[in-house]
Amino acid sequence: MIGLILKSIRTGALTEANPFGRHAAFGFPVMDFSRCTACGECVRACPTGAIHATQPSPGRGIVSLSYAACIQCRACVAACPEQAISVSPEIEVCAHSREQLSRSASFDVDPVTGMGTFRQIEPGAGPGLADAAATLKARIHGRLGRSLQVRQVDAGSCNGCELEIAATTNPVYDLERFGIHFVASPRHADALLVTGPVTRNMEIALRRTYEATPEPRVVVAVGACGCSGGIFGEGTYAAIGGVDRVLPVDVYIPGCPPRPQAILNGLLVAMGVREARAGGESAAPPPG
Amino acid sequence: MTSNTASVTAALHVPEGAVRDHHPGELVVDVHPDAILDLTDRVSQQLGGRLLSLFATDDRARTGAFGVHQVWSLPQRQTFLRLSASIDPAAPSFPSIAQKHPAANWFEREVMDFFGVRPDGHPNPTRVALHDDWPGGARALRKDFPDDSQVPREPGDRHPFRPVTGEGVFQVPVGPVHAGIIEPGHFRFGVAGEPVLYLQVRLFYVHKGIEKRFERLPWRHGLFLAESISGDTAVGHALAYAHAIERLANVEVPPRAQALRVVLLELERIYNHTADIGALATDVAFTVSASRAQALREGLLRANDRVFGTRLLRGTVALGGVKRDLQPEDREALRSALRAFEKEFDSLIALLVDSGTFTDRVDGTGILTNQAARDLGIVGVAARASGIDADMRRDHPHDAYEDLLFKVPVEDGGDVRARLMVRAREVEQSLVILHQVLDRLPDTPCAAPVPDHLPPGASALGWVEAWRGPCTHWVATDERGEVARVKVTDPSFLNWPGLVHAVPGNIVPDFPVINKSFNLSYSGNDR
Repeated sequence: MIGLILKSIRTGALTEANPFGRHAAFGFPVMDFSRCTACGECVRACPTGAIHATQPSPGRGIVSLSYAACIQCRACVAACPEQAISVSPEIEVCAHSREQLSRSASFDVDPVTGMGTFRQIEPGAGPGLADAAATLKARIHGRLGRSLQVRQVDAGSCNGCELEIAATTNPVYDLERFGIHFVASPRHADALLVTGPVTRNMEIALRRTYEATPEPRVVVAVGACGCSGGIFGEGTYAAIGGVDRVLPVDVYIPGCPPRPQAILNGLLVAMGVREARAGGESAAPPPG
Repeated sequence: MTSNTASVTAALHVPEGAVRDHHPGELVVDVHPDAILDLTDRVSQQLGGRLLSLFATDDRARTGAFGVHQVWSLPQRQTFLRLSASIDPAAPSFPSIAQKHPAANWFEREVMDFFGVRPDGHPNPTRVALHDDWPGGARALRKDFPDDSQVPREPGDRHPFRPVTGEGVFQVPVGPVHAGIIEPGHFRFGVAGEPVLYLQVRLFYVHKGIEKRFERLPWRHGLFLAESISGDTAVGHALAYAHAIERLANVEVPPRAQALRVVLLELERIYNHTADIGALATDVAFTVSASRAQALREGLLRANDRVFGTRLLRGTVALGGVKRDLQPEDREALRSALRAFEKEFDSLIALLVDSGTFTDRVDGTGILTNQAARDLGIVGVAARASGIDADMRRDHPHDAYEDLLFKVPVEDGGDVRARLMVRAREVEQSLVILHQVLDRLPDTPCAAPVPDHLPPGASALGWVEAWRGPCTHWVATDERGEVARVKVTDPSFLNWPGLVHAVPGNIVPDFPVINKSFNLSYSGNDR
């Protein structure tokens, strides 16, 4: 017993005062569309279809990059012959819709060479981050206060996201100091933290868990799979896809898996305490 | 003909030439379905074989038949033996070996579920992978079943669990959504008061169609899918897949890459074992030790991050080697992180085993006897805690393990304590291994080039002793050199029946700690 007490005293507090702002060697890829020629190498290299290219009309091409599906494998960075894709150290990325996690640009495509010339960044569809945050805030206003009771649901994950979600409770991150607490039952929960490319075999359990959660329930999708189906795809015989195929999602936390501080950040965004940053801002070309 | 081929031919009483050298350390015998039972008996009795995997292939387009394959480990010969039988699609069935070899039980039922090829004489020929709302007749791994098929649900969702009768006897249903931050599965306890009479486990809630997905993705992208089979075994499964591809394409992995792969695999082992030891402390409410273990694990993950740029070691394995070399300063950072860890880890184990309140809960709890473990074909940590001395790093050396000195810790108790001690001693051995490797990293490139195309109509086995136990990937290509079939076997698939066996007789409140002592993967099992 004495040994235990001494051990605790010697160890001291391990909790990081500010768990945010740590940068990673690799966050998400950032595309400098002005250098892109729409050659398609990154599209072929990407294992999840996070980067894709379309030709809406002859002579015109669209290239888009979605963090919702990105598993941070870096294959695109190595594949790009123009070195137009760089790595961003930013990892506290989240958004209120899939569209907000996507960046697109249009290109004039030469009919002979098939090469594209950058034309412009395409505006994203749907409401922006601030508008979406205001809508969420209005819905939860006065109900959740400064705490968030969270029920985690693994709806088909590989368990990678669970490892990092569990890490948010360790002494270093200690998410309870932010008023966030994981609860054992959806009936005690304000929010569902859902992972996985919702499987056919978890769909019913997920819906029932949602129905058991009292209003105004907030749904947070975690990981590339939870945001988009990830490497497992959408609409296969076994995987339905992103959580929003089954439930309305309020916050998307991309990554494979997202790091503990990114998960913590996303939960604080769901509480209306922090503002979402969808990352990739430097993807916009320099003016002129 | 190698000496192995000759001795296996003799032991199996098959004609000369029937046993083929497929790849180094991998023999293949084509057998007639009627001979399966006799041959498996000989493999198990004469050759000391242990069943590692059993699966089917749909070769109807190429050969007009299904294939049913068994993969056995022959540890005394450092060889794997595959028995392959051709099954007539007009009468799709094969002789079941599950009666004599219970390790085949779930495998054979899975073949039935996904291929509609029936195991004749199986003692319990019911569904294992398919849920009750999956319509009969839809066979997901057949080639004529598109991977994006939208299969309607059959009405009704009541699973026929084993009934309980008698006064004071009742059932406790748990899951699939659990109280903690863990994966989904359904447990149904039959209890008489506190003691558990039996446990039924219903899994495959997180079945993602991974084996079908491999057939859809380009084979280079399969590596990323392998990393997501079980999130805590990213290196183990990525390596097993890479090994299979490298053997298929005859790629020689350079010595430095082999050494770095050992580093990755042992780092994965250490962080998982540390987490598991902490989870045992959590489940007996020993919070001081639990917090220490969590902090230690966080330190390891941060060291991974600093050195490899990734906490859970994803994206580190490449086909042909490793993605990122270890710089001298990284090597030093890793060494010092490991030295700091080592000291703290020893004191964590001392804290646990010196605490009567802890040992009271783990001693004699959840015993899996040696006989049961042998009969069920249990592997990995759980096997070694039940007195089975098996470890592929020594028995079928892969990567740089042949040149390394280490012990394989074995415990006889078969209880929670034994599984804890195997983990603790394996961490010590991992540190021994890591220091050996880091002291003398070979000076070669860290990856070899991989050809643009895989040979058509070929197959190979890849294997790894990952932290939980053996992971195997069997990869076959079609006539265009694309992936025709990947059979993934996670150690959890072999070990879940061990948990079911260890729980009865214990009290319900001890279930979490027994379950954690096995810590089996749901995702790896369900795929």
